[in-house]
Parts: sequence; structure tokens; C-alpha cells
Amino acid sequence: MLKNKLDVNRRQFLASSALIAAGSVIPEISFAKEDILPTKSAKVVIVGGGYGGVSAARQLRKLNPDLSITIIDKNPFFVSCPMSNLYLGDFYEFGNLCFPYQPLKAKYNIDFINSKVLDVDLDKKVVITQNERISYDFLILSPGISYDVDQSQKDFFIKYPPAFKPGGEHLYLKRLLESFNGGDIVISVPSYPYRCPPAPYERAALILNYITKRKLKAHLYFIDANERPIINSEGFMKAYYKLYKGYADYITGVTVKEIDTTKNVVKTTNGDFRFDLANIIPPMKASRIIEKIGLLEKGQKWVEVDTFTFETKVPNVFVIGDSARSFLPKSGFGANMQGKIVANLITERITGKKLKQEELLMVLCYSMVSDKEAIMSETSFKIDKTKNVITPIHREDNTRRESTVKRYHEWAKGLWREMFG
Amino acid sequence: MDRRKLIKSCSLVAVGSMFVPGFFDKVLAGEKEIYKKYNKTLLIKEDGTPITSKDIPDNTVLLFFYPYKSTPCYIINTGEEVKPTKVKLSDGKEYEFKGGIGNKKSIVAYSAICPHQWSYPTKDFSLINYYPSNQKSETTGKSGVIQCCAHISVFDVKNGGQVIEGPAELPLACVELLEEDGKIYATAVVGPNQFEEFFDMYKSDLIEQYGNIEKAKELLDKTVVMEVGKHVKEQIRC
Repeated sequence: MLKNKLDVNRRQFLASSALIAAGSVIPEISFAKEDILPTKSAKVVIVGGGYGGVSAARQLRKLNPDLSITIIDKNPFFVSCPMSNLYLGDFYEFGNLCFPYQPLKAKYNIDFINSKVLDVDLDKKVVITQNERISYDFLILSPGISYDVDQSQKDFFIKYPPAFKPGGEHLYLKRLLESFNGGDIVISVPSYPYRCPPAPYERAALILNYITKRKLKAHLYFIDANERPIINSEGFMKAYYKLYKGYADYITGVTVKEIDTTKNVVKTTNGDFRFDLANIIPPMKASRIIEKIGLLEKGQKWVEVDTFTFETKVPNVFVIGDSARSFLPKSGFGANMQGKIVANLITERITGKKLKQEELLMVLCYSMVSDKEAIMSETSFKIDKTKNVITPIHREDNTRRESTVKRYHEWAKGLWREMFG
Repeated sequence: MDRRKLIKSCSLVAVGSMFVPGFFDKVLAGEKEIYKKYNKTLLIKEDGTPITSKDIPDNTVLLFFYPYKSTPCYIINTGEEVKPTKVKLSDGKEYEFKGGIGNKKSIVAYSAICPHQWSYPTKDFSLINYYPSNQKSETTGKSGVIQCCAHISVFDVKNGGQVIEGPAELPLACVELLEEDGKIYATAVVGPNQFEEFFDMYKSDLIEQYGNIEKAKELLDKTVVMEVGKHVKEQIRC
């Protein structure tokens, strides 16, 4: 039986949400101010070829035909995290999530280096990879997240991957699901912020969809550190009740304390849960490379950047995407927007030309709740730079619709077209 | 055609630049981006006869293809006069949208390819749709707009396709209409058109649909104007 209450109204949600509160005034923090304009032959290096990095590269190229742009990523090709739950739910091909980086060079003269970044020398403006040292004038760091887990838990997360980083983790979790013959499943959600706010809730729904379609004798213990789904709460709760009643316990306000890997037991603040299959989504933090470089303040999980420019305290070094502390939720769509903002800013610094300032930013999130229906939400952020105020407007469509599925697919395909088309 | 005639026919006048020496050269250089003349294409009904403004009632949207066989457009009767206006781009450039045609000057036409991430009305469904003045969008509450439900970009039909809301950085490209002896022709596309990107992004789809890309790129002399539902199975609104 599902245990959470459904009486969450939107005002309460917004007030309690980890999204920025309405009309928030942004605190004054001193960030980099670059006076010297690099020349038109400037070199931009982008660490991370995900939504933020590739979007930044494409926007830079659109505005600067002659600029040197290099993306460095440890993965040989792009794999999308958005839409990956549909693959886990067994109604979307993994190959549809994958895009080669080659067209970026072939069509847009954006260099791609497939290597792991080991360090960055911020004084000498050099990125150090496994094989080479690459100098830059502007550095965009978009490396995504790291799991915030103890060394002792590493083996568990190899055995039962969280699948919140693209690639192999999803493939392996899908194999585990395919070989699951019934029993108890535990999925856990960390406290917000983490990557992609609706993703754990969508995943729970799609794993329930998977087991009900296959008529497996299975039960899901869905353990949430938050008090309710942090986005589309009404839509997710209705879906859990209506579509999967009797297949799950939704246990809220509970955190995972420990995992007993020998007995397959998750110990929480509200009792122990034995599992045959687990998907423990751990707390997250900025990518380790950010910490290594020295841009992450001690005790902080996310990088402090300028609210509007995403510039760090080091001039011409930007952090975008999920590693940054931003009013924009940690999402592929948010990273796409941040990439464009930083590309525009770098273009202004290179060319001296002023581009139109963003007055409104938005993030759209779609979620499947079964293999047929989806819900969605949109948050727009009105920006008033003169008053240093950002006002969010949050809208949700919590009615399960087949037409929203088509919007979801087109939402993703549009982003991929813009990045790789 | 000499340069002066071309400029006159374009209904595109760079604002505040008329008396600047070298103006025509500058405009012509800019034309590649914001004004493109194509075939003078006759808009016809499905029975092959020319469509007239009387065939397009108030608050109606119809679909046609222009300038290419595969590039969809909407012709819209907004029900009220659409006045000429200036459309401003993010880089500061401006161009003139000449307003509506027909008795009430209420008929306009736009490319139906979203300039954000190129969603367009396919045979299966359309996420980019017109919301007449009597039909508000559930999501944005806007009417008299073209709205794309993929990423919720909203374009002002009465103001040259300018972006009202959403992530689109560019306005919708406008199709220049000419009314002659009661017949309606499409003559040009004004505003940053997305055809190059469209053919690039959807190359494999277009080859599958038309046999080869050249067929998809055929320019039209006549184009059939039809109800949107004749081409698109499902118009998804939001």
C-alpha cells in the first residue's frame, strides 16, 4: 500500500520546493570580472560532452565561425540520461540515446578529445588529460555529477548501479531487471538537490509498469528521503495509486543509513528492507574533477558560480550543468540553457558586441508514468538583473496523457537535433 | 531585376537606414539572413481552383507547403487587422513585417517549422499549432499565437511571429503573401528561415518520405491549401 498523502497543493509544493522561492533576491557574491578581452583567435576548452558542454560548443560555433573549440570527454560517444528510464522500462532502444561526437568535428569544426581530464592548472590556463596538455583562454567545466558515497560502498554501487550517470550503468541495471524473477525491489531517492528531479519517480513508475506487465510476483519498497515527489507530486501519486496499487509501499521522509551487502538488506531511518533487486540512488555532488581543480569550497557539494553568468571566482572559467549551484534545476534542459548563456557571454567578451540579455529562462520536465502515458512540468524564471531578482513561475500538467508522451519524445529529439544535428 | 526594384518589392526596409550611403549594399548583404524571395506560388484549393481570402474564415488556420514541397506553413485568418510592424532580432537587427492581406488585412502566413529545435507538423502529429483568439492555450493562457508544445515557445501571429515566451531565440519566419485579382500568392519568406537546418536535421526522414532529398527540395509553382487535419492525424495542444 502506498503511504504518502495526496493533499499537496501547488503553493505548498512551491514553498517547500528546493527550487528558488518566488521573488528571491540573489545575494551579492563577488565573482570574477575579466577586463582583458582575448583576441578572436581565442581557444575555448569544454570539459564534459553532455548536454551543457555540447550545447555551449554549438552555440559558440554558431556565433563564432573561427573560434577554436575543443570538447574533452572520457566517454567515446554521448549517451543521454534524459529518456534512459524508458530504456529501463523496456520500451525504448538504448541506441536511440546514443550519439557519436564525430559530426561535431565533421560538420562544425568542433574538436573532440576522448580522454579523462586529470587536472587543470588554473594559473597557466592548461587542461591536463591522460595524454596531453591543452591550453585555453576560456574554460567551460560541464562534467556532471559524482555520487557522494563512501569508499566502502563502492562495490555495492558496482553490483547495483544507481544509473544516474550515462552509459554502462543503465545497461547493467537493465540486465539485472531482465534477470529479475520476482521478489522484493528497493528503490531509494536522496534529498534534493540531485540530478533530474522527476527521474527517480519516473523510474519507480516504469519499474512498476515493467513488473505488472510481466505479471511478476514482486513488490517495490520505494524509499524517499523527501516528503513527497518533489515535482509533479499529484501526477506521480495518482499514477502510483491508480496503476500500481498493491505492488508498492511508498515510504517518505526516510533516508538510507547503510547497506548490508551480504544479507541484501537496506537499513533506513525507518526500518530494514530486504531486497532481491536494488536501485539505491545515492546523494550526489559536483564531479570530482571540480574538487580536484580546487573550485569546490571545503564542505560544499556544488560549485558557487555567478547566478547569471555561471562564472567562477576565476576569470573566464565557468561551471555549468549539474555541478553548479544554480536556480535552474539540475537537468539536461537546464544545462542546455546554461551552455548557451555562457557561449553568448564568451562571444561578447571576444567580439565586444553586446547580445540580447536573457530575461526569461525555463526548464521543462516530462515523465512517463507507464509505457503509454506521461505528465509534465514547466518552470519559468523571470530575470530582473537590475533588481537582482529571479521570479519563478511553476506550472504542472498532472493529467496522464498519451499526447504528453509525444511531446516528451519531441522534447528530447529537439535537444538532440540542436546538439548533434 | 535591379537592386532598387528588388528592395521595393521586398517589403523589407532596414529601419532608419534609408539615407545612409551604401544602404542598399548593406540591406542586400543582410537579405540572405532575413529576406528570401522564392517562386511566386499560387495558393489553390484541393479542387485545383485558386483560393481566395473569402475561403479563409475568421479564426481559421490552414496548412500549405512553401517554398519547398516538404516545408509546411500555416495561413491564418486572425479575424482582425494585422498591422505592419518591426521585428527585432537578438543581435539588434530589425526587419519589417508588412501585416495582413484580405479585406480586413487579417490574413497572414508563417512557416510551421519551430525556429527553436525544428519541430514541425508531420503526418502523425503536430506540436506547433495556432491558437485562435477564441481558444486559449491551457499552458500559457495565450491566444492569437502559434505555440510549440515541445518546449513551449510562443510566437505572436499579429506581430511578425516574434517570440512572446519560451526558449526560442528567433521569431517564426513569415511567408509574404500577395493578393492579385482575388488570387493569393506566396512570394517570399521574411525573417530567419530554418530551411537549411530542416533539410539537414530531417534528411533521412525526407528521403524516406519523398524518395530522395531533391524531391523534398522541389520549389512549387502551385500549392494546395488544406485543413490541418487533412495532413496531420493529431494536433496536440497544450
